[in-house]
Amino acid sequence: MDFTDPTLRTPPVSLADVSGYLPGDPVGTEYFTQFSRSDRMAKNVMFRAPKGRHHVGRDETAVDMVERAVAPLVERHGAREISNIDVLLTHTQLPDNPVLGPGPEVARRLGMKPRWVFDIHNGGCAAFVHMMWTARMILQTTDARTALIACTQNCAGPVFTQSDIRGLAQAPVPGDGCGVGLLVKNNSAPILDIECRTYPEFAGDMEFSTNGDRKYWEPGAGQGCVTFTESKVAKVMTRGNRLVPEVAQAVCKRIGVKSSDIDTFVTNQPNRLFLRNWNEAMELPPERHPDTFDSCGNLFAAGIPVTLDAENRAGRLRNGSVVLMAAFAHAGDFAGAAAVRWGAAR
Amino acid sequence: MTTSALPALSDIPEAAIPGLLRIENSDRDATTPIILDMLRSVYPHDQIFGDFCPVQGFIEAPPRELYEYLADTRCLEEWTYSLRGFTETAEPGLWVSHDRLGDNTNIYTRTVANPDAMTVDYHCAWDQSEHLWMIYLMRVVDAQVVFDKPGSVVLWTNCHHPFYDRNPYQDTAPDKRKVWVGDFWEMFSAGHQLELDNLRAIAEYRAAHGLPIKPDWMSE
Repeated sequence: MDFTDPTLRTPPVSLADVSGYLPGDPVGTEYFTQFSRSDRMAKNVMFRAPKGRHHVGRDETAVDMVERAVAPLVERHGAREISNIDVLLTHTQLPDNPVLGPGPEVARRLGMKPRWVFDIHNGGCAAFVHMMWTARMILQTTDARTALIACTQNCAGPVFTQSDIRGLAQAPVPGDGCGVGLLVKNNSAPILDIECRTYPEFAGDMEFSTNGDRKYWEPGAGQGCVTFTESKVAKVMTRGNRLVPEVAQAVCKRIGVKSSDIDTFVTNQPNRLFLRNWNEAMELPPERHPDTFDSCGNLFAAGIPVTLDAENRAGRLRNGSVVLMAAFAHAGDFAGAAAVRWGAAR
Repeated sequence: MTTSALPALSDIPEAAIPGLLRIENSDRDATTPIILDMLRSVYPHDQIFGDFCPVQGFIEAPPRELYEYLADTRCLEEWTYSLRGFTETAEPGLWVSHDRLGDNTNIYTRTVANPDAMTVDYHCAWDQSEHLWMIYLMRVVDAQVVFDKPGSVVLWTNCHHPFYDRNPYQDTAPDKRKVWVGDFWEMFSAGHQLELDNLRAIAEYRAAHGLPIKPDWMSE
């Protein structure tokens, strides 16, 4: 036995449960094709876009979404367990208040008094893995026993239905939703390994622009949207193709499992091409790489927990199976992967 | 019997080049697992197309005629995706055309062909003709020799010149053009495959219909 092995000195941390929430009635793709600038574009949109997605209501806040996503956890684990959470981490795609994250208000709404509350912005579409990594560190190094991590994607309705934006080919791809995870310091569904990497060389390639000179906080015309320059699209595509399998393979190697033996691989879901390329790169049959793209679109950070929840509720995640999660963020400035021995089967 | 009578590597001290694998220092039993480990079922895109962009294919058309077609710069008007309007400049052998990938973009091309090796190298550049740094290396091989059947094999390689990442001739670029040729590098493998498919379709149609591979208008 290797007594210098850090896993012997650190307690196991489990992803004990996941849950998700999708706001409102599904919005069909016809909503967007009516605004397409040409028939050709409408056809292209029909081909590439998901069949449906959910849009958050105008007055529904990120706090509301987290509260609704946590409701099934309250039901399954008891209100007391949730209100006793020690660590609360949130990630919100479009903060309702740009200078303040929703963490403290989420805690108030759920009757919690957590000792560690962090609103974290940089994990992007890989935020679920990023927050598992952060929460695990806190649980392993303090007397904290439980953590709640919450990923809210809420920019599809507010941003991508603006009158200038909804006609763009990319407008129908995002969907709104929220996914949460419950982490507990025990061995019920142990996190086998996590790999998180920041790539400073790819930072700054994604912009938030108002399609003009206006800063987003300044008054005036011009609708805000996340953009890549046209020339960067191929670069981002190639990076994404590479980064997700890279971190996923790194985790596979360390836990001693061949990628083709992973029971369930869940990634973020920016588009169909990435989903196909990643599952080819991992040499997995498509059925072991489930997604919710067609019914939910690109859920950004919420994609991993929402898909895990859907698979779990459908009875397709077996206790004892190896579940691997992987994602990359923004234009490639962050990527993460985490493996869990599943223990939350319904 | 000796394995070699040649003074191989006699100019280099022994073990001066670490990692050299030769039958003398790594026998088949030792090397086979190393080679097997290098074989994969999936190869990262970057590993195949990072610094080089190789595409190749078989074309059912006579190699000599295909070579002669490719050796004429004007053929690019037909099988490339976006180069149009070729006219010869005052400098013999230097042609200018539009690359319609960019707004208002001129591309200059000089073709260097070798009939003995059947190599056709297109030396090109966007915006200026002083330094033709984009070099498309093509080679036509007689398929009879390599595949034991009539036809041609076309090998086409492109190297990732640093100017693809940084245009040193900003002053010659048209105003307000948003793209640079190197922005498309990651798409070159697929884009060149698409163009090679065009070349195959055109050449095979002409060959199958008894038309000259190099059309008459190009010989005028």
